[in-house]
Amino acid sequence: MKNRGMRTNSSVPGPSSEFVRRLVLLGGLLLFGAGLVLTIGAAPSFSRQPATPHNSSGNVIPDVKCVIGLEALKPGAKGTLSSSPTGMEFSSGKKKIDIATSSIQDVFTGQESRQDVSGMGGTLVEAAIPYGGGRVVSLFSHKVDVLAVEYEDSNGGFHGAIFVLSAGKAAAFKNQLVAQGAKVSKHMELPEPKEQK
Amino acid sequence: MRPSSRVPFLSIFSFASGSAVLLMAASLFAQPGRAGKPEPVPDAPQKLTASNIQLERIVSPEDLLIPEDTRLSMYENVILELSKTKKFMHIYRSGDRTAADAPDLVVLHLIPEAFKAGNQKEREVTTVAGATSIKVKVQFTSPDGKILLEKDVVGKVRFYGENLRATYDLAKKVATIVNQSF
Repeated sequence: MKNRGMRTNSSVPGPSSEFVRRLVLLGGLLLFGAGLVLTIGAAPSFSRQPATPHNSSGNVIPDVKCVIGLEALKPGAKGTLSSSPTGMEFSSGKKKIDIATSSIQDVFTGQESRQDVSGMGGTLVEAAIPYGGGRVVSLFSHKVDVLAVEYEDSNGGFHGAIFVLSAGKAAAFKNQLVAQGAKVSKHMELPEPKEQK
Repeated sequence: MRPSSRVPFLSIFSFASGSAVLLMAASLFAQPGRAGKPEPVPDAPQKLTASNIQLERIVSPEDLLIPEDTRLSMYENVILELSKTKKFMHIYRSGDRTAADAPDLVVLHLIPEAFKAGNQKEREVTTVAGATSIKVKVQFTSPDGKILLEKDVVGKVRFYGENLRATYDLAKKVATIVNQSF
């Protein structure tokens, strides 16, 4: 009877074992969160790698995001940007949009940084990490090139298309358009956006 | 209810009702313009009529540096938001030759007045710094240049989103002005 009573007492978790259990649970949660974030953050880099050999051709740039400005496409459409003898072409899914060199009025290039984890999914993941850990995720970013093209439609209407390319691609593409005869004006150099390391 | 339990209930009730009466009385006195001479009634928002609109190119002043992608994004976002208002039969772009024959045309000018470049990383990490903002004068004119309506609009991105999202915010506000004024 005495022994049974002692056994029962030892099976009830004490305050210290409860604390350890909570600590392990919290540690597991944090590890899971960090793993999830790293996986999501690494996914775009893995998907970009096979694209590198494609880029060596110079004329075709895959994984380009058209931020805005092509009427037949929704803002944020992803596709392939390529240069043709008569101008440039952006294809997304089944849609292909051509911009003739003669209609291009100006071309701008720039550089920006984009968050590795972004969009609605990224924001939700950041919010789900406890103790404000989501802010740490915001520290991870990568450089991208921005290509902005001013062009006219058949009626002379002004258009502006903005593309986001992987870093180091925009200047070469712009030079190609200029070599084909696209107009380019002199631009004021803006100071580099300050980067928080 | 027993008399002993009714006493605290009554005292709490009388205190609460007294406070409510006092608050109502104070708010009545605090309202401006009730006593004395009546305030002038604000003019009803000026309504414009036009069946076609043309958005002119955004040209920033010489002393104001705005990134080209921001300028173009502002233009394209305003075009998109104008089409969503469904207030006009046709939205003409700047330089469109067919706009010359368009009847009942109003011309929209966006004149940048201030620009503050933010930082997405700073914004998302600190949540208090790094906001991007653009201040623009929105001007509706007749085709011959007579100013019909003029308002200042500020587009911002404060917490989440890329810097160009400030132009989307600005375009939304321009669309609100169009909805209120046409």
